[in-house]
Amino acid sequence: MLTEARSIRIKGRSFLAVVLTPDLPFEDWLVRLDDLAARSAGFFLGRPVVLDVSELSLDRAALKAMVAALGERGVRVMGIEGARPSQLDASMPPGMVGGRPAADVEMPAADGQAEAQKPSKAQPAEVREAAAPVVRAAPSSLVLHEPVRSGQSIVFPEGDVTVIGSIASGAEVIAGGSIHVYGALRGRALAGSIGNSAARIFCRKLEAELLAIDGIYKTADDLPAELRGQAAQLWLENDAIMASRLT
Amino acid sequence: MSVFDFFQKKKTAPVARERLQLLLAHERISPGSDLVSILREEILAVIAKHVEIEGDRLQIRIDRGENVSILEIDVEIPAKAARAA
Amino acid sequence: MGKVIVVTSGKGGVGKTTSTAALGAALAQRNEKVVVVDFDVGLRNLDLVMGAERRVVYDMINVIQGDAKLTQALIRDKRLETLFLLPASQTRDKDCLTEEGVERVIGELKKHFDWVICDSPAGIERGATLAMRHADIAVVVTNPEVSSVRDSDRIIGLLDAKTEKAERGERIEKHLLLTRYDVTRAERGDMLKVDDVLEILSIPLLGIIPESMDVLRASNLGAPVTLADQNSAPAKAYFEAVRRLNGEVLPVSIPGEKRGLFGKIFGRRAA
Repeated sequence: MLTEARSIRIKGRSFLAVVLTPDLPFEDWLVRLDDLAARSAGFFLGRPVVLDVSELSLDRAALKAMVAALGERGVRVMGIEGARPSQLDASMPPGMVGGRPAADVEMPAADGQAEAQKPSKAQPAEVREAAAPVVRAAPSSLVLHEPVRSGQSIVFPEGDVTVIGSIASGAEVIAGGSIHVYGALRGRALAGSIGNSAARIFCRKLEAELLAIDGIYKTADDLPAELRGQAAQLWLENDAIMASRLT
Repeated sequence: MSVFDFFQKKKTAPVARERLQLLLAHERISPGSDLVSILREEILAVIAKHVEIEGDRLQIRIDRGENVSILEIDVEIPAKAARAA
Repeated sequence: MGKVIVVTSGKGGVGKTTSTAALGAALAQRNEKVVVVDFDVGLRNLDLVMGAERRVVYDMINVIQGDAKLTQALIRDKRLETLFLLPASQTRDKDCLTEEGVERVIGELKKHFDWVICDSPAGIERGATLAMRHADIAVVVTNPEVSSVRDSDRIIGLLDAKTEKAERGERIEKHLLLTRYDVTRAERGDMLKVDDVLEILSIPLLGIIPESMDVLRASNLGAPVTLADQNSAPAKAYFEAVRRLNGEVLPVSIPGEKRGLFGKIFGRRAA
């Protein structure tokens, strides 16, 4: 093992953000938002929100007013998607690019009790307390019976992804849980994407371009040479990606 | 049958060169000013002035040559089709 | 009702137009009624490979825009009477291709021909997606070379997403046509193996076309290779591919591996 000179640690981390896409007239949309907030008290409390204005043409003043109006309602805008640089200034939330679609966030039911359950397992409904609005879904998994082709992007934050086939170079799979590849992993695999450091990546042939677990990345160059082309599993230990051969 | 039977001793590159020279000579003329195309449009317009025909009854063929281009227009004119002037 | 084939690849220069012409002429020689359609607006080449470049009157965009009827735009091959060409426009661009227009044209062609073979342009933009939209069968042309393989993989992904068949939840029949297979490079181990390409792309193999001067010579003369020289290695491979398209099960022979057991033992010794 080579020792490295110390440098600051820069990591990546994925969060699942709620995206609000207002439509015009804004006042009418705000009325609908207030209605939603009334039905599910505290849904937006402490939750980072991204504002998507790609379909709107607003000037900077109007955008600022929109952010302020949301702030008054306890909706904290963490970033703005689809804005031109001229619409943003230093006092506003930063512009964001490269967001990938994820499953829609389920709104809790009006009575604040059982929240939406994913259908794959029978689990007792969790009673949600108004003060701790963390939505947890029952674990579920996605099984793909065909190879993932170059240019395709599979995003499944709800759980594990299993691919019966290969992940081609130029393709990517982003899973909230683990990723299992019964074939060659030639593209990108990002496991534990919503903050799950126990997620693992398994594959029959490791030729990946990029791997990540819970936001910690490893590119092809950093993978141990002796594992290339072998069956392997990868996991996270003390914020570092470990890899070993699967026999 | 093989085209190569005829071209057995000949090289194919000169044939390609001739074809290209001819083709590009026609294509380099700015679009629309190709004499054969202009003639085609004008002849069709003249025919339409005198005879009402369906699109299917009209066949146009072009063979652009080095020295001579041939424009063939085939029109089926129904016996009673002459338009009132 | 005819079948629509799209000949596509993603990568440019791998042999789509050559293959469209070769497969079209091979099918026409079996007395099938075939039309080959050029979708490369602005950079048409199918007319050149077919030797019809001097006879183009109207093109697909003229038909779509109503300037001409389909029958006026179709050019009959002088050598094979059941083979026709619908050329692309050289002076317009891809924006003139409309979805409704293409749908109408392909629909009409299907009524009159047994096979409608669409020569796709390179890339994944409008021309390529429109060419594949109405296909029943896709022939994915690939060179045994890394960029070509990756681009073909991308195109296969699009075939499963952007075609009408895919949108209806049906599977579009996909076949791999491996072209420009260089026997010398393969023997030296400098070329991706057929098995590697098949493993990566995971679609059935339609045929392997060897790299050959016959293809260049045929294109110089303006004839599909299956018409110019039926006994050449590429032509034979295309004829076999057509038999497989018609459902025959033929083992695919890898060019260059014709030597039998003795050939393998003695093959590498000096003569």
